[in-house]
Amino acid sequence: MQEVFENINWAVIAPFIIIQGILLIVALIDWAKADRFNGPKWMWFFIIIFVNIMGPILYFIFGRSKH
Amino acid sequence: MQWITLFQKEMLENWRNKKWIWFPLVIILMAIMDPISNYYLPQIIEATGGLPEGTNIELPDYTPSEVIMMSLGQISSLGVLVIVLISMGTIAGERKSGVSELILVKPVAYRNYITAKWAALIVLVWGALFIGLLASWYYVTILYGSLAFGSLLLVVLFYGLWLTLVVTVSIFYNTLFKSVGVVGFLSVLTIMLMSLVTKIFGRFLNWSPIHLSDHIFDMLMMEQISTELIATAIITLAITIILLTGSIFIFKSKEMAN
Repeated sequence: MQEVFENINWAVIAPFIIIQGILLIVALIDWAKADRFNGPKWMWFFIIIFVNIMGPILYFIFGRSKH
Repeated sequence: MQWITLFQKEMLENWRNKKWIWFPLVIILMAIMDPISNYYLPQIIEATGGLPEGTNIELPDYTPSEVIMMSLGQISSLGVLVIVLISMGTIAGERKSGVSELILVKPVAYRNYITAKWAALIVLVWGALFIGLLASWYYVTILYGSLAFGSLLLVVLFYGLWLTLVVTVSIFYNTLFKSVGVVGFLSVLTIMLMSLVTKIFGRFLNWSPIHLSDHIFDMLMMEQISTELIATAIITLAITIILLTGSIFIFKSKEMAN
């Protein structure tokens, strides 16, 4: 396993991880500011944090409610 | 100009609900996923236990154009789904919540209302497509080999037409139905039916918009724009214009009836 990590060129992978990080942070900021949700507020927190990649996307599409 | 005002309102709204941040990022992720994972496939197989002794699988060496097509493949499936999901509520949602009544009670031309919404979505989708394929192109260049930047721009130009059609289909159903779920479902169904019909009658429907990505791949391989590609692009554009005009008429008659 150690060897695998050494073989990976981190400059290649880094942007991928950074973009995921930005998505996560933007989703969390939006979540903290919003006051109307489709479903319980805390449920969306856990979806954003724990559902890999898809979590923030699901939140942006389905999480917020206009009414 | 009324149209400009409506368009600016849409752009501002897309900015406020952060579509301009997350949608391009999601498209970038989709576009770079395959170039990276295919490059590291040997290591990934090794890390997950490796192949059994004696198996000898030659992992293919991909050409730059093949890798760009992988990115397009991701955008065609997941990307199209996300586009339908973000566009399904643009008009239907406003009609349900009564926002559209607040706007249309003023002397706003229905034509302007719909085309402004359409244009704001198109700018978002084309922007994201360009940024996403630019990221994919960057990875292709450093990991697989060179691909002319001009070819990339042509890919964006022709593939953008397909995504434009997807947005227009969604806008069309938006004017027909008030339920956001129905709009999303019918848009996805329509796109799936189009691809099914094209697969069955493929030989007769060489200019079907579904074939756009095939013709784009041919363009990358042959390094020239075929007449099929141009014809398919024109057909796609024509269907888009017909659908958009149709939506304006439907919306007009529906709102007049109310």
